[in-house]
Amino acid sequence: MNASVRLSVSSLRAHKRRFAGTFLAVFLGVAFLAGTLVMGDTLRASFDTMFGNATSGTDAVVRSADDITTPGESQGVRQPVATDLADTLAKVPGVASAEPEIQGAGQLVGKNGKAIGGQGPPTLAGNWITDPKLNAYQLAEGRAPRKSGEVVVNRGAADKGDLKIGDTTTLRTPDPVQVTIVGLATFGGEDGMAQVTFTGMTRADAEKYLTARPGEASSIQVRAGPGVSEKELADRLTPVLPKGIEAITGQESAQENTDMISSQFLTIFTTFLLVFSGIALLVATFSIHNTFAIVVAQRTRENALLRALGASRRQVTASTLVEATVVAVTASAAGLAGGIGIAAGLQALFPAIGFPFPKGDLVISALSMALPLAVGIVVCLGSALLPAARAGRTAPLAALRETAVDSSGASRARAVAGAGLGALAVAATLTGVLISPSLWLAGLGAVLALVAFVVLGPVASSTAVRVLGGPLDRLRGVTGGLARRNALRSPKRTAATASALMIGVAVVALFTVFGASLKATMDQTVSRSFAGDVAVSTPSFGAGGSGLSPRLAGAVQQLPEVDTAVGLGRGVAEVDGKGRALTVTDPTALRRTFDLGTVDGSMGALGSDGIAITRNEAEKQHLTTGDKAQLTFTDGRKESFTVRAVYGQSELAGDYVITRAAWAPHRTQDSDTLVAVSFKDGVNADAGKAAVQKVADGYGNPEVQTRDEYAQSSAGGIDMMLTLVYALLALAVLIALLGIANTLTLAIHERTRELGLLRAVGQTRSQLRAMVRWESVLVAAFGTVGGLALGAFLGWVLVEASDGASDSAFAFAIPPVQLLIVALVGLAAGALAGWRPARRAARLDILRAIATE
Amino acid sequence: MTTATATRTAARVVEAVKVYGRGDTEVRALDGVSVDFPVGRFTAIMGPSGSGKSTLMHCAAGLDTLTSGAAYIGDTDLGTLDDRRLTLLRRDRVGFVFQAFNLVPTLTVAENIRLPLDLAGAGNGDSEWLDALIDVVGLRDRLHHRPSELSGGQQQRVAVARAFAGQPDVVFADEPTGNLDSRAGGEVLGLLGRAARQTSRTVVMVTHDPVAAAHADEVVFLADGCLVDRMESPTADKVLDRMKAFEVPS
Repeated sequence: MNASVRLSVSSLRAHKRRFAGTFLAVFLGVAFLAGTLVMGDTLRASFDTMFGNATSGTDAVVRSADDITTPGESQGVRQPVATDLADTLAKVPGVASAEPEIQGAGQLVGKNGKAIGGQGPPTLAGNWITDPKLNAYQLAEGRAPRKSGEVVVNRGAADKGDLKIGDTTTLRTPDPVQVTIVGLATFGGEDGMAQVTFTGMTRADAEKYLTARPGEASSIQVRAGPGVSEKELADRLTPVLPKGIEAITGQESAQENTDMISSQFLTIFTTFLLVFSGIALLVATFSIHNTFAIVVAQRTRENALLRALGASRRQVTASTLVEATVVAVTASAAGLAGGIGIAAGLQALFPAIGFPFPKGDLVISALSMALPLAVGIVVCLGSALLPAARAGRTAPLAALRETAVDSSGASRARAVAGAGLGALAVAATLTGVLISPSLWLAGLGAVLALVAFVVLGPVASSTAVRVLGGPLDRLRGVTGGLARRNALRSPKRTAATASALMIGVAVVALFTVFGASLKATMDQTVSRSFAGDVAVSTPSFGAGGSGLSPRLAGAVQQLPEVDTAVGLGRGVAEVDGKGRALTVTDPTALRRTFDLGTVDGSMGALGSDGIAITRNEAEKQHLTTGDKAQLTFTDGRKESFTVRAVYGQSELAGDYVITRAAWAPHRTQDSDTLVAVSFKDGVNADAGKAAVQKVADGYGNPEVQTRDEYAQSSAGGIDMMLTLVYALLALAVLIALLGIANTLTLAIHERTRELGLLRAVGQTRSQLRAMVRWESVLVAAFGTVGGLALGAFLGWVLVEASDGASDSAFAFAIPPVQLLIVALVGLAAGALAGWRPARRAARLDILRAIATE
Repeated sequence: MTTATATRTAARVVEAVKVYGRGDTEVRALDGVSVDFPVGRFTAIMGPSGSGKSTLMHCAAGLDTLTSGAAYIGDTDLGTLDDRRLTLLRRDRVGFVFQAFNLVPTLTVAENIRLPLDLAGAGNGDSEWLDALIDVVGLRDRLHHRPSELSGGQQQRVAVARAFAGQPDVVFADEPTGNLDSRAGGEVLGLLGRAARQTSRTVVMVTHDPVAAAHADEVVFLADGCLVDRMESPTADKVLDRMKAFEVPS
């Protein structure tokens, strides 16, 4: 073993505690990263297997060739095919069986009267395919539906709604249908396809409730006879198909499904987690750097002695780097193992909390082994590089000097560089946000702002700690004063410690501000454009839910209290080659319940060949009233619509409005997403709401909400996202706190004799503990305040940039209560981080402390 | 100082025994020492390395506990106090001067001097006393400096001022001149003696330097954990002679 290695190994062995914090920081970051990668791969593989199993009996799928995808959706809408095509296909040689598959939205109501699912994953209903080999769902209990009103439900959905075989409940298609459960099904061996709910009904029922016209199906599933391959089957089917209909192999279809899940769910999910593990690792970088910097500083005498005895710079640098490498490799390896453990744990945990994740072995690819290891080692070694170089530069004479107060870091050059960067950041951001809106410029500004904060940290820390700690002198006397001065001792160290927390808090603040702004935007949208009194909707999120019965609006209109009730349906079409969502409604009534801003032309005159467009869209497409717009529907039919009205506001009403009459020929399963109701003059709001609720009860019990309630529930998804984000950021904040605790522990080690002196001249243990804790709180306060400022700024940038990038207006809001909570949590966390070091310091034996050399 | 009339001792130890380690490694650092430190006197404890003089001081000052026997500050039996009371006693009734690292580097000279008072939350304390003290140690023009800006002798003088700041019953000094040259050392010792006599405080100093011991009113000699001699009005030569006797195997 060479000298450097021997030195670092013995040093590591002697000071295991010092590296505990570093080890933990690397461990947590790497574990998170590895866990994410392994879980992503495992889920992807499991879905592959599950779809493979579930659809293994389907050899070909026949469906419309064209689909229309609107922005923000991953699965396009296809025109249905005729059900009798199945009979034609069944006669093709080599076909064992062919059955139409009718699929639509259908949300079950559980035993407690609440709808099942709908918060993200689709709620599907379809016909129960009688050929068990063609049916992706397998009957697990009970029997298949035989007569109208009988259904099979996937077991996961039944469990969630506490439904059993023999129970009768409501299925919102969206027209409420009374159904009796006669069987429970599984999908690919699982209780369901993740959280997707499925209700299988008889083919007649499905045609009646899920399609616009009987005789239509989403697709036709075909099974090959013996000796006919999938490819052969598809080839044989193709010649008999009408124009615009295609046959794909079962394998292709399964692949499409998995790809859809991947892009819609898994990719977002893993990207999201990767971003947060990146944040955690960034925070870890600061903590690790700090630990090594302090360890090197503490070892100045030892290194100087080595240099005096003839060790070369390179040997001293190398011994520090070897130490870093040992920590990096062991922590990364442990983190990798931990990550795999996390993935395994989640796999076991998810089903337990009612999230039926497909079983299967963990998929650990070479990438998910190599990447976390590499990242962990690079982060750790990279953080140690500068301190190691500094160790090498130790002058042999330093052995003789006593360094008690380090005032480095607050140099003028740093202040100038930091201020320059800050100015550049503000300039770039303001330009990117206000003058010539550009996300890139705004993003660059945000990154520069972060760098400026980190560079300015040591300069700012002295002032900040002095100001923040000002009240301490008065509140806590000499204990507070000592804590404040200890925090001021090494501005660089304080800043680096606080920077870790600052980044964590900044991201928390960023999301808090952005979330509040989104909510304010929703609120503003609803209060600005919703002119009605109550809104009826089915609270749902993502692809879930089945909407409202199109007959509900008519029924509500009959109430004596109601002036206008208008339902908003949704359609899709290509407008000049791009998929667009259409709002299908009664334009005259729409005008009475929504504030559409200034309207050119007449909303009442759309008829069956007219369209209304928002001013924004009209300008983009260079259309004005009287112009013609080409609309292509899912059935491939092109129709020319005349722009009869251009309106100002779009948020709730959508960008394109056509009448029900215009949509009728192209419609699929009919549903409204929202029914807006305004009362007659003099109608009491509560009485009106109660009357509407009574009618709504008969249509599958959707929610009736006042304007404020509606605005709030529209923002419900935001709270859910924020909760998730906070949970993920907790890791980064935890790493930052470990950093504070570690720095303090090292500082206490450094100040052993001083602490001994203080105890000798009469500082009580509790005073000593308080002193250490307050120092921790001060460092945390600096990090928290900096983080809040940076986060609020970045939040503003994000809101303004989104505002510039999208058509709808974004509101910027700072939530004072939430930010105050973040600040208090930061301070409390600081006190917590100081707790252990404080106890350790208080346990110090006075005599040994004084004797420490 | 109500107790002084009764006992006339500021600190004392009775049959003090201190044992470190066990079995084979057992070391009897103090082996039944009884000694009084009378009020208003400057006493030096001398002895060769390992004689137990530092241990005696630590136990008498309440920094360490005795294995058996008793230590008193005034009439207070230190063995009956818990850590907190012991700390408060040190803060209010005892002063310390150590060999090195005597000052808190983040505090100014003035703050270092006031430290025991501030820790006690004593407000402004006796400002006349502090004022006089600052003049005695001659540091008025350095009050707002940091310890790192002072010489070793000046630092030690600040430590002396701090030790007397709280008007303690007794000040313990552990090799206070060990790190100083003879001139600076002389100043500090002169200061200790002056402070003791002018303010009638008791000073107990541990040293191995006969010149330092000569500044004291009395020297007690320790060898192998036992009190072996006492000497009134010592001079450096007399002390040196007495010390030489330890080195010659008897």
